[in-house]
Amino acid sequence: MEKATVVVIGGGATGLGILRDLSMRGVKALLVEKNDLVNGASSRYHGLLHSGGRYAVKDQEAARECIIENQIMRKIGKSCVEPCGGMFTRLDIDDEAYEELWVKGCKDSGIEATPITLDEAFKLEPRLSRKHVKSAYLVPDAAVDGFRMAWQLVDSSKRYGGQVKTYTEVIGFDTVNGELRGVKVRDQFTGEEYEIGCDIAVNAAGGWAGFVGKLAGVEIGVQPDKGTLIAFNQRIVNHVVNRLHKSSDGDIFVPHGSITILGTSSMSVPNPEDTSTSRAEVESLLKIGEQTFEDLRDFRILRTFAGSRPLYIPPGGAVGRSASRGFAIVDHDNDGLKGFFTIVGGKFTTYRLMAEKMCNQICAKLGNDTPCRTAEEPLVEEVSQEDKDRAKKFFPSYGVNLAATRLGVDRFKKVVERLESDPESRELVCECENVTRAEAEEICKDDTSFIVNDVRRRTRIGMGTCQGNFCALRAAAVFSEMGVEPTAKDSLARLREFLQGRWKGIRPVLLGRTLRETEMTRAIYELSMNVKGGAPQ
Amino acid sequence: MKPFDVIVIGGGLAGLMAAAVAADNGQRVALLTYGSGSLPLASGAIDFLNAKAPDVAIKNLPAHHPYKKIGLKACDAAAKFFVDIAAKADLPYNGRLSAQIPIVTAVGTLKYSALVPESMDASNLVNKKKIFVVEIKGLKDFYAAMIVDNLKKIFPDKTFEVAKLDLNLLGGRDITCMDAAQIISVNEQILADGLKTLDVGDDDAIIIPPIFGLEGNSSRAAIKSQLRAEILETTCLPPSPTGIRLQRAFIKYLQSSGVRIFENSKVVRGVVDGKKVTGVVVENSVREKVFPARKVILATGGFYSGGITMRDFDQPREPIFDLPVFFPTGAENWSNEQLFSDEPQGFSMTGIFTDESLRPIDESGEILFENLHVVGANLGGSDFVFERSAGGVAISSAYKGATS
Repeated sequence: MEKATVVVIGGGATGLGILRDLSMRGVKALLVEKNDLVNGASSRYHGLLHSGGRYAVKDQEAARECIIENQIMRKIGKSCVEPCGGMFTRLDIDDEAYEELWVKGCKDSGIEATPITLDEAFKLEPRLSRKHVKSAYLVPDAAVDGFRMAWQLVDSSKRYGGQVKTYTEVIGFDTVNGELRGVKVRDQFTGEEYEIGCDIAVNAAGGWAGFVGKLAGVEIGVQPDKGTLIAFNQRIVNHVVNRLHKSSDGDIFVPHGSITILGTSSMSVPNPEDTSTSRAEVESLLKIGEQTFEDLRDFRILRTFAGSRPLYIPPGGAVGRSASRGFAIVDHDNDGLKGFFTIVGGKFTTYRLMAEKMCNQICAKLGNDTPCRTAEEPLVEEVSQEDKDRAKKFFPSYGVNLAATRLGVDRFKKVVERLESDPESRELVCECENVTRAEAEEICKDDTSFIVNDVRRRTRIGMGTCQGNFCALRAAAVFSEMGVEPTAKDSLARLREFLQGRWKGIRPVLLGRTLRETEMTRAIYELSMNVKGGAPQ
Repeated sequence: MKPFDVIVIGGGLAGLMAAAVAADNGQRVALLTYGSGSLPLASGAIDFLNAKAPDVAIKNLPAHHPYKKIGLKACDAAAKFFVDIAAKADLPYNGRLSAQIPIVTAVGTLKYSALVPESMDASNLVNKKKIFVVEIKGLKDFYAAMIVDNLKKIFPDKTFEVAKLDLNLLGGRDITCMDAAQIISVNEQILADGLKTLDVGDDDAIIIPPIFGLEGNSSRAAIKSQLRAEILETTCLPPSPTGIRLQRAFIKYLQSSGVRIFENSKVVRGVVDGKKVTGVVVENSVREKVFPARKVILATGGFYSGGITMRDFDQPREPIFDLPVFFPTGAENWSNEQLFSDEPQGFSMTGIFTDESLRPIDESGEILFENLHVVGANLGGSDFVFERSAGGVAISSAYKGATS
């Protein structure tokens, strides 16, 4: 039987943070995830590294945690963070009294909030509504890439012996006399069921924590809270732009590379699997968004997406936006199950701190007194300038930096060697995100790549301007050639599945230039390629 | 400016065809184009309908369908006219409306169309012994192994071989089918010599990416004469040489028949007098200019080409004449859960409704302009992708609009 000291359940930021922390402290840890990594709220979110400004009035403890973790993340996850800075803007319709409270709250929480004149604000963010914006402050918000951070956490964990199994679902627990002995899992592709022996299991399943708890026979108060977001094809803002008012729907814009994400809504849902989005949600986000940016509707929308925050509900606690964004650690020893912990709630910005606190408890149980080092050591080594210069001979420097941060030192070296030795591997499989064939092949042949979407999350193929119009064919073809999993061979099914995944996010925003792109997708793949197959009847 | 007999707005397949038909009828024609239309996106094959016999299936369509307004007679005439002028421009097409011809796609499926370029006609593939799928070194977007994998599912008994030719195309940047076609159009011998190195028998077929030049049939003819095996081109990712060949063939024909083509001419509005359109206003970088006309053909395309736009939900617009646009209301009718659906997509049915002469009508059925005819993808009532009718509706509505 496979064995680990600790099994971590859930491949979101929290679970991966725990895996890294434990591995660095010398604890043999293995993470299982029923889907691909960061399939839940850790990628289905704004990608905002909070300064804490958003919590400065309501929850100053959370605000303080945010600003501290914000500084740490910039240091350890340099290539995942875009230090674009943030701006809070109060509109004419927003409560003036709140502004005063907020300024004081920032001061008390240790968040530097610098007032700027409206002239400065419009200079920094030219698209801001001159009609509505009444005051503005700069704060140290930043953008953070959840996908990249996840893969870097994995790389860091692996260096210390940590293991990850994706598409591996927990189906039960093996206990003897109220003591945990192992975790029963199922391989999602082969259907094979087996057990992984362990002393401790940590339920870090986010929105799914309640379901995992149920399998262990314990009750966990977690309420999936769905947030819908819109990705625009342009960089509408230079900074993270927040509304200076009591936190509400659709009041944050975050720039990421060449796109902007607007969100989010907040809606309690029974099932965290519910990532559906609707025209009504999109319309309501746009309505709020255009109060801050009046010409918002003239920008092309790339897609919409949704994820569920795992809000922790203590017995009798509040739900929705008024629920705490704080987190909780539960030792189920108190429920009569020794060796089982749950960590739930929190937010992406503070995932490291949550992991640290969780691991402190686990290590205390294990008698391991190695201190936590996750705040000091960078997630990955930086790719050397020398290797980057080698790569620059074959593709634009913008693309070199993207590839370097996506791939990390070792894989980047391998890819550069391929680029040098095989001219054909230099072609771009994805022009929007600057992915070369060499890079695509490297990721396709990884044993964690089961479908094209797995390759997408790691390379960003299909996530840019064309939303797969050009790269879907290439990705499916390269994957069918290089993929080691049997699923890779059915190229037509992979191609359709990939485009269907893109379609899910396009459907509720099917207007404007997005309609045009969709007609193009259909013309290429349905008319020119007949990907559905079959002959006329 | 002296009024034109006919002004055609739009340089896509429908606009080119309408201008050709009108010119053929001896009229003085102006073609106003802005952008390149959707032919560079297309395979060049003309789909009529997804049915074994499109001409029979056309009869069973609902009344609001464009084909019902156009009528089978015009469809037939359009197909003949199309094949005829393509041949005159040295671009031979095969086919008729009563049957379908398969072509090999870039993913290794077969696609069926009524009229197909001779260079893509895969009707005889079933009779071949061995099929070679040829990759060109350095040419992007053509994946022979995947094509073979998928063709094997259609032809399980045949022998396949992936071959790779080095035509010295590798340079400092990505090479697309367009680039390769361009190179081969000035030096077809490199491809002929490359193909000759294959061990191909008389009963075999060779499948290549669409790179037989960018104009007419001359490159193909020169290569074909040196090899005994049949050579077939596939479809490809855009821009597509086979679509561009068709575009160029039409333009060549229009130029020879005296049609005035005004490129980069964005029509911003019509000049109307009651129920008559007397001209159109063209905007270029410096000024606006009126083009007077006795008859106007609107071939501006659908959502893809901007002939129909929609900035806000449930508010599609026709931007030049502000014609009423038919569309399915509500999110649930706008699109289907599956992208590659078993039902037509609502958004794609969006467009303008017309009378039998293809003149725009309002909700009550009243004709809005007596001398304005709407042709091509801006017609409402059909999902040209789902029902595989894009090219068919384009050429037959153009024919009808130009002859009405």
